[in-house]
Amino acid sequence: MSNFTAAEIRRQVERFLPKVLKPSRYLGSEWNAIRKDWDKTEVQMAFAFPDVYEVGMSHLGTRILYHLVNSFPEFLCERVFAPWVDMEETLRAKGIPLYALESFQPLKAFDVVGFTLQYEMSYTNILNMLDLAGIPMRTEERGPEDPWIIAGGPCAFNPEPLVGFVDFFLIGESEEQLPEVLRLIAEQKKQPVSRKDFLVRVAQVQGVYVPEFYHVSYKADGRIEKIESEAGVPAVVEKAIVQDLDQAFFPTNPVVPYMEIVHDRMMLEVMRGCSRGCRFCQAGMLYRPVRERSLETLMKQTEELVRSTGYDQVALTSLSSGDYTCIRPVIENILEKHGAEGVGVSLPSLRVDSFDVGLADTVQKARKSGLTFAPEAGSQRLRDVINKGVTEENLLTAVEEAFKKGWSTIKLYFMVGLPTETQEDIDGIVDLAKKVANLGTKLGRRNITVTISTSFFVPKPHTPFQWEPQESKASVDLKQRYLRDKLRDRRLKYSYHDVKTSYLEAVFAKGDRRLAPLLEWAVKHGCRFDGWSEHFHEEVWMEGFKELGIDPHFYANRAVDYDDILPWDHLESGVTKQFMMEEHHRALQETKTIDCRYDQCTGCGICPGRGVQIELKG
Amino acid sequence: MRLRIAYTKIEDARYIAHLDLTRVFERAIRRAGIHMSYSEGFNPRPKISFGFALAVGTEGEREYVDVDLEQDMDLGEVLGRVQEQLPPGIRLLQVSALNQGAKPLMAVLNAASYRMRVPMALPIQAERLQEAVGAWLAREHVTFSRYSKKGPTDKDIRPWIKQLEAEIRGDEIVFELEVEMGNAGSVRPEEVLASLRELENLPLDLEALQIKRTGVHVSYQGEKKSPIDEA
Ligand code: SF4
Repeated sequence: MSNFTAAEIRRQVERFLPKVLKPSRYLGSEWNAIRKDWDKTEVQMAFAFPDVYEVGMSHLGTRILYHLVNSFPEFLCERVFAPWVDMEETLRAKGIPLYALESFQPLKAFDVVGFTLQYEMSYTNILNMLDLAGIPMRTEERGPEDPWIIAGGPCAFNPEPLVGFVDFFLIGESEEQLPEVLRLIAEQKKQPVSRKDFLVRVAQVQGVYVPEFYHVSYKADGRIEKIESEAGVPAVVEKAIVQDLDQAFFPTNPVVPYMEIVHDRMMLEVMRGCSRGCRFCQAGMLYRPVRERSLETLMKQTEELVRSTGYDQVALTSLSSGDYTCIRPVIENILEKHGAEGVGVSLPSLRVDSFDVGLADTVQKARKSGLTFAPEAGSQRLRDVINKGVTEENLLTAVEEAFKKGWSTIKLYFMVGLPTETQEDIDGIVDLAKKVANLGTKLGRRNITVTISTSFFVPKPHTPFQWEPQESKASVDLKQRYLRDKLRDRRLKYSYHDVKTSYLEAVFAKGDRRLAPLLEWAVKHGCRFDGWSEHFHEEVWMEGFKELGIDPHFYANRAVDYDDILPWDHLESGVTKQFMMEEHHRALQETKTIDCRYDQCTGCGICPGRGVQIELKG
Repeated sequence: MRLRIAYTKIEDARYIAHLDLTRVFERAIRRAGIHMSYSEGFNPRPKISFGFALAVGTEGEREYVDVDLEQDMDLGEVLGRVQEQLPPGIRLLQVSALNQGAKPLMAVLNAASYRMRVPMALPIQAERLQEAVGAWLAREHVTFSRYSKKGPTDKDIRPWIKQLEAEIRGDEIVFELEVEMGNAGSVRPEEVLASLRELENLPLDLEALQIKRTGVHVSYQGEKKSPIDEA
């Protein structure tokens, strides 16, 4: 790839832009986009989202970090997304390197390219984007003129499959840590030290993980023997955490795209974390403890958001917004203040109780598009195993309320392949679905649709189920087919998630650095957008496993011992391993654990360990 | 109060898809703190309506949109406040208040003019160019194959052409085209050039074609008017 300047890239791209799908994905001149003078900033960062524009732009973390970095006059931050396949083809055909949206500067020209890791199935896109940018994929092949490649986000809590491609990872919440890292890069530019010295320096920042300082050795049977850290870096990397969410940076002037994106609205982060303790939920463990924003802060932010974006809807986001202690006053205040301008409120995640149905009714008014509940498992026994504090009675009362308030479409989410699952639990899904539909019929509602979706359980690192094997693909496939047959009823609609991608997701979620060559192999053989079913090629992956002598079952389907060293044991979320083990025991004994926000601390370890505490505003 | 606004859609704004324009205007007006009227019913939408779609990538020098406001306002103030909130490339040129019962844009617009700049693939003489254009215009019917999902369909594009002129400027040919538009469809400017290349052997480098829509009109008995003056 030749050395293109921003102006040349722009001139060439303009010629074919009308011919690619959705050209406004590639512009960077949207409302509120920040275009800074390149030469007047000390550090230039490209924030890279390894999926398409409309997915990346919908992500709250992307919005926060883009504006956070740009809020420093000495730093510049631009965006880049994975180009859709038609755009990639054109860029490759014309030899144009991947560029950042705001300036059309090639990625290679930046000091740092930061990827966000939201989903294991986007890993191939990361390597593909580096390749499109003409940046060597492997860290050791990159020279001093190449940017630092860094990555953060939830998957950074087990980033091992990406070791060798990413120079260092940012573990945890980046609001304070990322500017600190950029400051060190600015210093490095002014007074360069060796690459190694720089990495040692950056490894001192809370939550920064430099994988090359950690050496992993293996036993003959493939399990990890030990993970050793070099002198001068922390033996265990502890996540970065925001102490006071109410005061934390939050952008009220987000970029407003020209085209429709997945979440095309204002987003208000009402709280961070969730204390319900569902045992399969990784986010619920990673973002502890619960911290809320105050009503005053949220009202001020809403006002600014409405003025700066012109959106007509504000979504109250968090892992479980119904739990936010000031949820009612926030909704009421927003509707009172901005309702006349046509601004509405939406609540993306609902818990199963009638309190929430009432809330949904307040916010949705005319639009009764369908209400979603997530019982996750079909029987009470299994719901106790996963600690989903929901009973059949809760669900039916809520659904009854919903039918009475005018909804006729109910969506139910379940997981198949959960630990200890039996045939009875599967039949429980059918039972529950029919009970819900019958309730609607009994209440005299016509045109009822009950949509049942099942996904395939993926054991995730840093959860009480991290030691659990994933069930075999074949067996889960049978279960989903069984459900398809049993759920034949004109009122029911069944959809299920593809087992093949979830299997690969499990391999990478629990994988170690020996998977890195496989990622490289897959990208060379055309894999990318693996999360998009039309671009997922299972055969290619299976061939890769065979060719490189990697056994995917070892990662996905092996029950791990408590004594085994986990590939992510040197990375800490703050929730102790001891607590995870206890939770795993309680799961197998079908015992529930209470929510620590209401009654008492259940001892996960994060609050005393990190000097933080649960912060409720209501 | 119903407004008819003339605006440009140039520079980066030329890549905004027609369907996305409503969103762009709607949000700009809301940012400006101006209250729009909404449709009744299930899912109320602000009342904004455009004229003929402009192809993605084609610049528009003078396009139109109708917007309904909840209250009467000073026209200059509306223009000023909304302009501040619009992305680069969309510039508001003129506004007028419509009479009650004025017909919507789509019902009054029936013509459009385009300027196209095409590099010559081989140098040609001015006379040869005029001959070719004259010969093409002299044809009563011009069949053009359009490709769609259903496969090629043959269309007679000649009836849509009201005017076509060409001139050599440097190594480019500049065409001025005026076409009729209506509910039954129209002709795309690039189809006219493709046909000229094919039927009259004009050496046009269509890969590097640049099109600009210079205006959309209300045309009646040989007279062109702007939908703003007409209303
Ligand atoms: S330490 Fe206790 S209070 Fe804090 S998040 Fe964990 S369980 Fe809850």
